[in-house]
Amino acid sequence: MTSVDSPAADAAAREPGAAVISVRGAGIRFRRNRTSRRSFKDLFSSRGRRARPGEFWPLRGVDFEVRAGEAIGVVGRNGQGKSTLLKLVAQVMIPDEGAVDVRGGVAPLIEITGGFVNDLTVRDNVYLTAGLHGMSKAEIDAAFDEIIDFAEIPDFVDTPYKHLSSGMKVRIAFAVVSRLDEPIMLVDEVLAVGDKAFKAKCYRRIDEMLAQGRTLFFVSHSERDLLRFCTRGLYLDKGRLVLDAGIKEVVDRYNDDYAPKK
Amino acid sequence: MSVAAASVRAPADPKWTPAQRYRRSLWLLTSRDLRVRYSTNALGWLWSVLDPLLMAAIYWFVFTQVFHRGVDHPPYIVFLLTGLLPWTWFSGAINDSAKAFTRDAKLIRSTTIPRSIWVTRIVLSKGIEFLFSLPVLVLFVVVSLFTDEPARLDWQLLLFPLAIVLQAILTTGVGLIVAPLVVFFRDLERAVRLVLRFGFYATPIIFSLGDLGRVHPSLEVIASLNPLSGIVGIYRAGFFDEPIDWLATAIGTAVSLVLLAVGLLVFRRTVPAVLKEI
Repeated sequence: MTSVDSPAADAAAREPGAAVISVRGAGIRFRRNRTSRRSFKDLFSSRGRRARPGEFWPLRGVDFEVRAGEAIGVVGRNGQGKSTLLKLVAQVMIPDEGAVDVRGGVAPLIEITGGFVNDLTVRDNVYLTAGLHGMSKAEIDAAFDEIIDFAEIPDFVDTPYKHLSSGMKVRIAFAVVSRLDEPIMLVDEVLAVGDKAFKAKCYRRIDEMLAQGRTLFFVSHSERDLLRFCTRGLYLDKGRLVLDAGIKEVVDRYNDDYAPKK
Repeated sequence: MSVAAASVRAPADPKWTPAQRYRRSLWLLTSRDLRVRYSTNALGWLWSVLDPLLMAAIYWFVFTQVFHRGVDHPPYIVFLLTGLLPWTWFSGAINDSAKAFTRDAKLIRSTTIPRSIWVTRIVLSKGIEFLFSLPVLVLFVVVSLFTDEPARLDWQLLLFPLAIVLQAILTTGVGLIVAPLVVFFRDLERAVRLVLRFGFYATPIIFSLGDLGRVHPSLEVIASLNPLSGIVGIYRAGFFDEPIDWLATAIGTAVSLVLLAVGLLVFRRTVPAVLKEI
């Protein structure tokens, strides 16, 4: 698996029509339960072996390509591999077989509060998280006021992060990660949290980023959100990619398969 | 509210080469470690020297005042500190490496920085604390110059940085082995503490390799295989008359390099599984 994150790759990733994400035969294997025996031999044996009892593939044989500027919605029931796919694209997990190539940087709006440290102030946390995602100090300086403004917590800049309310925590985290200047963004249900007004603001931010030609990879159970942002859908079922088509078609197919019992 | 869409792309867009990115992320996390440690404790820096200082005081009292031993290495307090301060770095870094992946699981799951940083930043932050604790050693060396048992200062002091480099290599290697394995075998975290406690006495900290040889010659040979023996020997070389033990130094260097190679290999092979597990 390769990841190219260079100025050239980033520029190419903004070129409409260029392939930015290509997933070829990707699969990942998990153990069914935590207690099953694991031997040292397991750890060092090469990847891509046959499945063994107690192991399963939450995602296997997935093939697709995403071009710059596309907005992809991932559809499927719980536990069908949606978040796992997102993690593979975010490259925070590595496939056991196949390959995931991502050209250009990624702004992952998944587990966004994960990088924040309770004992540090909001200011320190913003610099830390943005820095780890590749922003330079000067860039953060320039964006800092806007980030705080977006999160609506001007009075808490020097408050330790742990003293913020849970809503504020998510707001500041969203403000930082959505401010990253990356050509690809991944969104995983983060919008489910936060009050209505903030949610509307997040939607506007995503709209703006799409308008700038960024690529969106979106996981959601909300049909309305999917139809609003996405043009193309990926339908995952039992760890397989069963349909890759326009978002409307994908949502309809999903509704047919799993129509709510009336 | 200003959601300035136009400003999203910064004018000068410095993207990083892999090496730059590694250094930047490493420094960000290291300074975070240090800042958390020093901002949450009123005594801050004092804590990082208090532990080795207290241990040195205890051993000094027990061996020079109660048992009248250890006088072979005057001044004994300097002898102790040249062993204890590096040991504090080593054991602190290995202990923290054992928790490296579990403690920061959420952050590791959300960023793509090179994973070895989760270990190297511990080695670096503990190493910086070690450097900050050196003034204590300097203080006792200077004080000893005014007693009838002065520390001897000679050109071998120049080897001190070499010992630091070797110890950084060794600590990184061991950390890279310990960190991923603890994710799969949680008991290892306790085992690591136990082994470290044994390691303290298997390393010439409160005694020298020569002292061990006087108990039984084979003990000296066995202890030489411990890479820290050679490294502590280099730290001490500039302060004491005892000639440097080149065999132990060579073994220490070789073992450190081998452990680093093994660590890099183990780490690379286990990282995909670690990411699934945390």
